[in-house]
Amino acid sequence: MHAFQVLFFKELRSFFFSSTAYVVIALFTFLNGWLFVGMVRAMQTHASPGSLIHNLLGSGWFWMGYLVLFPLITMRLFAEERKMGTIEGLFTAPVRTSEVLLAKYAASIVAYAAILLPLFLFFPAFYLITGEAGAFHSGAVIGSAVGLFLVGVFHLSIGIFASSLTANALVAAMMTFAMVMLHYFLGFLQNFGIIPDSMWSEFINYFSTVRHMEFLTEGLIDSRPVFYYISFSVVLLACTHHVLESRKWRS
Amino acid sequence: MIQAKSLTKRYSGRTAVDRISFEVEKGEIVGFLGPNGAGKSTTLRMLTCFLSASDGTATVAGFDIARDSLKVRQVIGYMPENVPLYPEMRVREYLCFRARLKGMRYRESISAVAEAMDTCSLQGVERKMIGTLSKGYRQRVGLADALVHKPELLILDEPTNGLDPSQIRQARDLVKELGEKHTILISTHILNEVEMTCNRVIIINQGKIKASDSPSTLIRRLHRPGQVSLEAIADSGALGKLRTIPGVSEVTSSETDDGWTRFQLTSNAECDVREPVFALATECGWRVRQLEMRRPSLEDAFVDLLTNEQSETASAD
Ligand SMILES: Nc1ncnc2c1ncn2[C@@H]1O[C@H](COP(=O)(O)OP(=O)(O)OP(=O)(O)O)[C@@H](O)[C@H]1O
Ligand SMILES: [Mg+2]
Repeated sequence: MHAFQVLFFKELRSFFFSSTAYVVIALFTFLNGWLFVGMVRAMQTHASPGSLIHNLLGSGWFWMGYLVLFPLITMRLFAEERKMGTIEGLFTAPVRTSEVLLAKYAASIVAYAAILLPLFLFFPAFYLITGEAGAFHSGAVIGSAVGLFLVGVFHLSIGIFASSLTANALVAAMMTFAMVMLHYFLGFLQNFGIIPDSMWSEFINYFSTVRHMEFLTEGLIDSRPVFYYISFSVVLLACTHHVLESRKWRS
Repeated sequence: MIQAKSLTKRYSGRTAVDRISFEVEKGEIVGFLGPNGAGKSTTLRMLTCFLSASDGTATVAGFDIARDSLKVRQVIGYMPENVPLYPEMRVREYLCFRARLKGMRYRESISAVAEAMDTCSLQGVERKMIGTLSKGYRQRVGLADALVHKPELLILDEPTNGLDPSQIRQARDLVKELGEKHTILISTHILNEVEMTCNRVIIINQGKIKASDSPSTLIRRLHRPGQVSLEAIADSGALGKLRTIPGVSEVTSSETDDGWTRFQLTSNAECDVREPVFALATECGWRVRQLEMRRPSLEDAFVDLLTNEQSETASAD
């Protein structure tokens, strides 16, 4: 537990003391701000069935920026340690592999939360400025937060897994991006009409992030996506643990 | 302190470390020598639990490296080859992080870091970024890292690699000093350093132990013929007279630039011919400015051991 704390804070420091972190936060917030304004404008002229946050998170523009976050957050976690050789000092210190892994994972979740935080500040800010409480409702915001947390935790575990596979941060980033994109677009398959079979589309719906988010951003929290994202994250973390341990006997 | 029993490491087909067994007693300074690719780093990585052994076992301070790896790692202060460090961290920050990672509380770590920085002469750079340090300083940070949690055993993999001569000398003195408090296993290519600091050397080649003894015993076992050089202004029959000294088997002479003659005498391994040579010189009234015996060094023993090895394998093929 002690080692976990020490590593967790070290990772956080190295994230928040780097200028790239702030560039990423600024760019992502700017993108969201632009979308936010656009959505508000659109909703002024056209009646919309969904809430503001539902429309915002339903936008492809949001997802474009959002999916890029994961390779950026996770690519260096283990790849850099391997490249620099510092992994040798790390694992010859009296620490468990699981502590190292969980500390890095937890720190990446905090970093991720920090990047998303400004988006959730838009809503109270909007209310304070305009006095319009009706533009969003708390159920949708909470549901969206839960959804983004779940999807984020899952994507971060993909990223940390990819980072453990290679000594090259760029390769880790590309693998993460490819896997995250693939997963995201699989959820779209039935929209393209490629999958006629209804049983298959049921199956795809089960892991479609788009579908999950549709419900969550309306404030409908279902247990199936919760189970889905958490269990897959656990599986990926277990795989990462295995990869890290395998350095001992692999050649 | 360390007991290795037929420790083996195989990398996809090739055997890097082949059933080596050795012991290191508490308080010893042991040099771990061998040519490039001999398997030194691999052995040290197994002892520090970075790699697991393909076969065999070892215990460190009584703990098994496979079963009690956390306790083993707690006992060891390890400085890996090439001293990997985080370039974006500052020296004190890094050492504090390492001290705490190795189980120290914040308060303890402050004084431990101060002490380690003191030992390794790191005052003055404590707030510098590691990436901006010179190689010598980086090496010292690595050493400070290894000893910051006051481990009983220090394992240093080529700690003086790439240092300038004066830094090597400082490092040697430091290792000697550390040897009073710690058991040390040190891998290096600088043989006179080992000769001066280590109680014992283990020489490995191609994953097998070739010798394990004190440096002086290894040198004595060499059975090198003695080499004595004499610089003098002598008469013309000097060469013949020197040959008559008992024990001398061969004498050659050459002129130096400034008109003196240098005689090179080869003698039997056991006898020291310096005294009879000096007696002869005074008897004949030669002017002598140098009389010196060249002693074989550990380097000679090392090269001898490895070339014997090669000729043996060559003849076996
Ligand atoms: N990860 C690895 N995969 C495959 N072979 C390896 C690996 N690491 C080392 N080897 C091989 O094992 C042998 C021993 O390597 P090791 O690094 O232990 O040598 P060394 O004695 O430390 O050499 P040096 O003096 O150059 O540091 C070498 O032949 C090397 O090529
Ligand atoms: Mg080596």
